[in-house]
Amino acid sequence: MTRRQSLFGLAAGFALNGKIFAATGLMPLDEAGFRKMVSSHHGRLLLVDFWATWCAPCREEMPKLIALHSRYAKDLDLVTVSCDEPEAEAQAASFVASQGAPAPRYIRHAADDDQFINAIDPKWSGALPALFLFDRTGRQVKSFIGETDMAQLEATIKKLVTS
Amino acid sequence: MKLFAPVAAATLLASSLFAQEFHAGAPVPDFTIQKLDGTPVQFSALKGNVTVVMFIAVQCPVSNSYNERMNALYQDYAPKGVKFVAINANRTEPASAVAEHAREHNFQFTVYKDPDNVVADRFGASVTPETYVIDSKGILRYHGSIDDSQNPSRVTTQRLRLALDAVLAGNTPPQTETKAFGCTIKKVQKTSASSNFDFGK
Repeated sequence: MTRRQSLFGLAAGFALNGKIFAATGLMPLDEAGFRKMVSSHHGRLLLVDFWATWCAPCREEMPKLIALHSRYAKDLDLVTVSCDEPEAEAQAASFVASQGAPAPRYIRHAADDDQFINAIDPKWSGALPALFLFDRTGRQVKSFIGETDMAQLEATIKKLVTS
Repeated sequence: MKLFAPVAAATLLASSLFAQEFHAGAPVPDFTIQKLDGTPVQFSALKGNVTVVMFIAVQCPVSNSYNERMNALYQDYAPKGVKFVAINANRTEPASAVAEHAREHNFQFTVYKDPDNVVADRFGASVTPETYVIDSKGILRYHGSIDDSQNPSRVTTQRLRLALDAVLAGNTPPQTETKAFGCTIKKVQKTSASSNFDFGK
């Protein structure tokens, strides 16, 4: 278990705001948790993928993102955040596991989606898929909303790797 | 420099053509959409004392999870003089599919097409479902989600209903801008440059 995994835990269950969540392999994530998660990746590039099981383009993109991550794993971390409703959590966990997405994997668990979306990026409408790329200082440098041009994404990552 | 000027001008023109024009608290000028038989229709011919504009989709599971709720909204608010204008702006969903979908779900309101997502761009709409409330003076009073949960059993705030009740009473809605997760509107590419990039925040 890496230090980061240890930090956020991969135990049999998770507590957030006094509620216990089943150990499906997905960590609940709220606005504060998102900021902490981004901070924990300081020193490395970070690509955060907000997706959902109901989002066909999200499901199509994930293997491409995982392949991209494997090519830049020396410099880049990939984090997946499911935006599914609680009843689809097991399905979401099963999908990311089957794709081999890096752990820890998250599911949004915000009291208010409006506030959660604004906390990630006020310019984001909540449309999925949504990717947010952070530099080594934790500063968000680019976002990709909707179906992603993978060549454009890779070019951006390559530029950040060499900068 | 001779080359740069036309490129810059074209970029500026493109930006102005595709930028969001309608904002909460400001007037919504007239626009053109299409009936599903291809006939153009002006918004001014459809709007009422209060008007709801809804961007919806055929294949988006989130939009579809609101089909019954949209029908219920129509049934509750049409008798109060509220007009409903549903718009499909997805390039991937032809008028024939939109018509079939509307029949299948027994939509009480009429669905229109927005070819080349011109109207969606003017509203700044990017997700389905996404709604707008326009008052009797043509002012945009609310922009956002129908409520706060895809699952009807978990809804705690009826955002669109609260906005409509407020506007019908001549008041300001409790929230004028809200967001929720949904499907991206599948738009046509209008420039070679991605509109998704936003260096810095």
